[in-house]
Amino acid sequence: MADAQKKTFVVTRFDPDRDQVPKTQSYQVPCQPDWKILDALNFIKDHIDPTLSHRWSCRMAVCGSCGMMVDGEPKLTCKVPLSDYGDTLEIEPLANFPIIRDLVVDIDGFMEKLVSVKPWIVRAKERAVEEGTFRQTPAELEEFKSFSMCINCMLCYSACPVVANEPAFLGPAAIALGHRYNLDSRDEGDALRQQVFRGEGTVFACSYANECSEVCPKNVDPAAAVNQAKFRAVIDWATGFVVPRGRK
Amino acid sequence: MAPSKPGRTRTAAPVRPHQFPFGGRYAAYTLFDATGLLYLLVGFVALRVVWALGSGQAAWQEMLRQLGHPLYVAFHALCLVAVVFVAVRFFRLFPKAQPPRIGPLKPPPRPLIQAMLYAAWLAVTAGLALVLGGGLF
Amino acid sequence: MHRLLLRLEPLVWLLFGQGILIGTMLLTPWLLVVGLGVPLGLVPAEALAYDRAHALGSNPLGRLLLLGLVALPLWKGAHHLRSLSVDFGGGSRDAAVAALLYGLAILGSFAAVAAVIRL
Repeated sequence: MADAQKKTFVVTRFDPDRDQVPKTQSYQVPCQPDWKILDALNFIKDHIDPTLSHRWSCRMAVCGSCGMMVDGEPKLTCKVPLSDYGDTLEIEPLANFPIIRDLVVDIDGFMEKLVSVKPWIVRAKERAVEEGTFRQTPAELEEFKSFSMCINCMLCYSACPVVANEPAFLGPAAIALGHRYNLDSRDEGDALRQQVFRGEGTVFACSYANECSEVCPKNVDPAAAVNQAKFRAVIDWATGFVVPRGRK
Repeated sequence: MAPSKPGRTRTAAPVRPHQFPFGGRYAAYTLFDATGLLYLLVGFVALRVVWALGSGQAAWQEMLRQLGHPLYVAFHALCLVAVVFVAVRFFRLFPKAQPPRIGPLKPPPRPLIQAMLYAAWLAVTAGLALVLGGGLF
Repeated sequence: MHRLLLRLEPLVWLLFGQGILIGTMLLTPWLLVVGLGVPLGLVPAEALAYDRAHALGSNPLGRLLLLGLVALPLWKGAHHLRSLSVDFGGGSRDAAVAALLYGLAILGSFAAVAAVIRL
């Protein structure tokens, strides 16, 4: 086994039963050279401090559970190698989310926004089983494929300066997923989603900082989705003058 | 990102990213937004100039004299830097904001869109600079 | 005000987008020649002699370009300053800030129309 190298982890701790505000706690961890950050956190929990709480699951960057701030940047801790960092790392819960405990954040706000954009195929009339499957060309799939790769890790929400300051903003992932369905040739729910995209959570609150796309670990490029969605919203707004339609 | 209903336990308030607004990549973004002040001011200065042009020769001569003041020159130099910065950042971000399809038409590949933007910028700048500077017409 | 802003956002975003795209393209030659070239003596002053400048400006295309040059940057400026206000914690005052800034852009745009008409 390779020699372990001691690294210091300065980790945010918060116990709502004991603490008024979050504080930090330092741990010395003997790290293997091939470890990811998550390996070190699990070592802390398994061998040093079993009270440390953090979310993780798949360990292979597909579930989106282990997002945290590492030295001030939102990262998937199962994906990022320790070798990218020096001897001291600062681990905090995801920015812009209320903190439930330690490194665990309350994601209910995001879930509400996600559901509001109806991230599923919406049809005026459901297709009967007898009619068979939908058919979609590779070109049609390509139009929305990158936006479908979102794993809901919420790193983009932690990076977005608008999310930090406008609580109602739908945010990168929710808009990207709604836009993904607007682009899907099987979907007929554009008009429903436009009401959400131009409501209180308005896509136009996005200031195109592009930070969401910079931090996305799955190359979803939510900034592209949000700004394409703005263009679609303008078309919807303009055609609304020509083709009046009732809105709920 | 607080939920609409409070959770079952007391939560600590969200923390904004520490690097915001002047650290890391945020610095360029904050600067990009801050150029808004220069655009607003240069628009109103241009309004003054056009208004002077419509007010007769004496007003125009006076305006040109004022434009020669070091403060005006420094302001316009700063605006030029800001405009170039805005163009470079915007041309990088603009291509991916285009819809994947408009009716049956697909947009050009993103690098080509970017090249077209730079070409248009160069052509408009050269053409209008020649006209304004007396090289054309 | 907040609901009015939500309804008008697509239009504001269009104007802001053109403020960046067309405004930037028009501002570059303007700054190079009118802002710097002539004042610094790099471009002959005769280029902006009154008769020539007025002839160029009062041409229909000239009026259109001058209108774009004056009005479009105001919308880019207003929108980005509003964004800056929000970024620095101004969510609660956003409606007031937006009304002020877009109001300035609207006034400036009307003044720009008046300025090019009276050329």
